[in-house]
Amino acid sequence: MNLLRRNLPGALVVGIPVLWILVFMLLPYGIIVTYSFWLKKYPTFLPAFQFGNYVTLFTDPQYLRVFLRTLKISLLVSAASFLLAYPFAYYLVFRCRSQALRTWLYMAVIAPLWVSYLLRAYIWKTILGTEGVLNSFLMWLRIIDEPSSLFLYNQFSMVVTLTYIFIPFMVMPIYTALEKIPVNLTEASADLGMSPWRSFWHVTLPLSLPGVAAGFTLTFCLSFGDFIAPFLVGGPDGNLVANVIATQFGAALNWPLGSALAIVMLIVVLSIVSVSDRLERKGLTGGT
Amino acid sequence: MTIKKGITAGCIAALTSGAAWAEGTINVLTWEGYADPSFITPFEETSGCKVNATYVGSNDDFAPKLMAGGGVYDLITPSIDTTQLMIDLGFVEPLDTAAITGWDGIYPKFLAQDGIQQDGAYYGMPYSWGAIAFMYLDSAFDTPPSSLDALWSEDLAGKISLWDDKSAIYVAARKNGDMDIYNLTDDQIAAAQDSLLAQKPLVRKYWATAGELVDLYKAGEVVISNTWAGYQSSLLAAEGVAVTEFIPEEGAEGWMDSWMVVKDTPNKDCAYKFLNMQLSELGQCGVANVNGYSAANASAAKACMTAEQYSALHQDDPDYLDSLLIWTPLGDRFETYTNAWNAVKAQ
Amino acid sequence: MAAIIELENLSKHYSPTIIGVDDVSLTVEDGEFVTLLGPSGCGKSTLLRMIGGFEAPTHGSIRLAGKDVTWDPPYKREVNMVFQDYALFPHMSVGENVGYGLKTLRLSKGEIATRVKDALSLVGLYDKVNQRPQQLSGGQRQRIALARAIVRRPKVLLLDEPLSALDAKLREQMQIELKHLHEKVGITFIMVTHDQTEALVMSDRVVVMESGRIAQEGRPQDLYDHPASPYVANFIGTTNFLPGTSGATQGRLTHVEAPGTTLRAELDAAPPPGREITIGFRPEKVRVLAETESAENTLSGRVAEVIYYGLGLRVAVELEGGARVFADSLLPDRLAQSVLPQIGQSMRLAVAPHNVFVFEGRVAP
Ligand SMILES: Nc1ncnc2c1ncn2[C@@H]1O[C@H](COP(=O)(O)OP(=O)(O)OP(=O)(O)O)[C@@H](O)[C@H]1O
Ligand SMILES: [Mg+2]
Repeated sequence: MNLLRRNLPGALVVGIPVLWILVFMLLPYGIIVTYSFWLKKYPTFLPAFQFGNYVTLFTDPQYLRVFLRTLKISLLVSAASFLLAYPFAYYLVFRCRSQALRTWLYMAVIAPLWVSYLLRAYIWKTILGTEGVLNSFLMWLRIIDEPSSLFLYNQFSMVVTLTYIFIPFMVMPIYTALEKIPVNLTEASADLGMSPWRSFWHVTLPLSLPGVAAGFTLTFCLSFGDFIAPFLVGGPDGNLVANVIATQFGAALNWPLGSALAIVMLIVVLSIVSVSDRLERKGLTGGT
Repeated sequence: MTIKKGITAGCIAALTSGAAWAEGTINVLTWEGYADPSFITPFEETSGCKVNATYVGSNDDFAPKLMAGGGVYDLITPSIDTTQLMIDLGFVEPLDTAAITGWDGIYPKFLAQDGIQQDGAYYGMPYSWGAIAFMYLDSAFDTPPSSLDALWSEDLAGKISLWDDKSAIYVAARKNGDMDIYNLTDDQIAAAQDSLLAQKPLVRKYWATAGELVDLYKAGEVVISNTWAGYQSSLLAAEGVAVTEFIPEEGAEGWMDSWMVVKDTPNKDCAYKFLNMQLSELGQCGVANVNGYSAANASAAKACMTAEQYSALHQDDPDYLDSLLIWTPLGDRFETYTNAWNAVKAQ
Repeated sequence: MAAIIELENLSKHYSPTIIGVDDVSLTVEDGEFVTLLGPSGCGKSTLLRMIGGFEAPTHGSIRLAGKDVTWDPPYKREVNMVFQDYALFPHMSVGENVGYGLKTLRLSKGEIATRVKDALSLVGLYDKVNQRPQQLSGGQRQRIALARAIVRRPKVLLLDEPLSALDAKLREQMQIELKHLHEKVGITFIMVTHDQTEALVMSDRVVVMESGRIAQEGRPQDLYDHPASPYVANFIGTTNFLPGTSGATQGRLTHVEAPGTTLRAELDAAPPPGREITIGFRPEKVRVLAETESAENTLSGRVAEVIYYGLGLRVAVELEGGARVFADSLLPDRLAQSVLPQIGQSMRLAVAPHNVFVFEGRVAP
């Protein structure tokens, strides 16, 4: 009794968050896992323990197709974010002489995070549309004679929009990783006879890999679970896994199948996170 | 305009609901224009019942919302393809039609519809109806389209839109000449699927919400699509975009929304007052004015509509009504239809 | 011996007001061990970094083995640097770190391996070849950094405060080791330090810097015995300073007036009489006189403080004129502790004329 009273504050400090996680994170997952074994039966579904839903996912080609498409879009978004974010972060950390300009540019990339996701996606609709800003601009430049419909409602516009929306999550970790690299390491590399390009290749890039891995994980997982971009800027061939899950829980009223799909997706995301986590830790300890 | 009004009504209802609870408050789960202040406010004043509205975005929202737990909603308005599901799920109770004045004014065709009756009892009160018509941008056509073939026309590639709904299967089946669209065989569904896949490269975007379709026309992205007759076209007209609705040679689906009473509602008194109001001239013309939909109560419509509106909404047009293929519950075929449509989207 | 490094009027102005290095000319002979010594902020690192190619001078030129390298990037200069905090690559093993600089030298794999092995053996750490720098102690990392820098056999090795991160004991040991290494490899060493002992122990030549300029350069003994300014006298060793006035000169001896006494100083070049001067002498050159003993150049006062530091005693004496000077003495043996001077007792001191410095002006540092 005494012991409990003495430890009560401590028990609360630890206990409440643990309880919170149990109730609000693990419990929903538990429910989803349970549903994923149930049976769809008009009008709703019946409790059961069977793997039919998972079998459907792996045998009906439509799910594999959507899965591969989602994978492709997420990888493209991550790659595009990386190609844009890395040189940008590199410039900020190593080349930008003015502290004020650096802060300003960094904020310019991060600030959109405070703007609603929907609004940001919507902006791209007005840029890429047939009568949008991009088309007007290209016509003004006389590069094209009539508006092109190639920019919007396809996978290109989804990649562009998702890249724009998620690129802060690539810039931030890379910036942090680059900032942590002591300047004297690149100096040492130059001192030991390496040209700037080779120094970058042998020293800066490997040492920033943990940041790159974190950025890839974040942008990949965020795009992988996205369902708004397909809705706003995607075309007829833009359905992603999250849209299919939404359909199964909504229009199709097939929660068991939707749950099974959600579980498969969760497993994919978790394995990517753990791989990248291992990569990051390897980077930090220098690989031992 | 209606959207704003609706939201305001919702807010006011939410704010005042606490005080009004004692007198009787009914919670309705419905479409945005179906609890418009233009007829809800007079109702609240005369009946002493407060109305608290929650809005759905699609028919698919009813089941999940009601499954989430009972005792919240008193009245719902699913469409005719969803009403049977509500009955089968046991979410709604039989209506006491004798307590509803104006019941006899309802078009017999609607009262005979599958999905609102079970074991000789009515579960749904027909309220409003319309067609899933087709629509085109006036400026894009010299000769107006008259057939579904227009939606498969290479000339219109990249300018076509279709509702993101299992209704797409109905459209494709009719294009293939399969007119019994609610009883398609597996082969016919597969053929519809193929037609939709062939059409896919021509499609700019599958539209999901009314607002989205309006945006697509406004931004010059599409010139032809299907539509909720009366609704998007009036929104576009308000924006100065000239579009024309048409029923193609292959016919169109018709829809009908019904009010249903949630099982064991404690507010039966107010709920029936509400049903009476909705079927009266106040409710019937109210819904027609706000949404551009046709009314289910022929007598009420006749009494409160102008002659032009009456004919524009096809209230006295038995041929039009008969030409519509009114949605029918698909029962255990439902999954096959939705799955076919999902597979098209997945491609 | 040939000049390996020639600096001519080298300046680095970071901005019109921030001056890193100001008009430095310096020649370093091949094989020499030169130390740049000075307080924090005097421009030592800047000078070294200009030689390494990490900073571009705003004025002047740098020649390496007769070739102008002023504008060459670091990777084109045959000099290597040992960085203050070693700058070892954390993502490479010790062996990879050391071999890193050999990648550009077009050597065969075998050649690289032998060179890495030789360099690591030289610093006695070949057994750590597969470890990561993070797994090593500070002293070991220091040696890896050395091995990495010398493995390329540069013409000049630059060391920026290489020992400052080590504790006192290890630092002393490394001082000797570095010196031996220098003798063994025969490369020119230019080292930066702010530790005068380190400079005196290790270098052939010391360059004392003050606010970006060279204050004095020379062999350690010369700097110690003939400081050119109170700044140098105080920076190298400790010096007692007294304000004074120059008097008459007789032969090599010059009379100087100090507060309360007159001293004679043996000078190479005497100031004209009547000038304001600063008199200096080192505490260890001061002799404490016995009660009856008489001597040249005596100063008397009272003991103000006694500091015992093991090796000897430092007594602070308040002179009759009010100035305070230190006198150091070695303790003859343990018994002598019993005769430690008492605070307040009167004491007479003497300093031989050849141990008296005279600087022009009254610049008490
Ligand atoms: N990158 C720089 N930008 C502006 N001023 C600098 C820069 N680097 C050094 N300085 C200034 O130049 C002067 C000399 O600096 P330097 O680093 O050469 O001193 P140091 O003798 O090595 O000092 P320490 O013993 O503290 O390392 C200092 O006043 C310093 O503030
Ligand atoms: Mg320094």
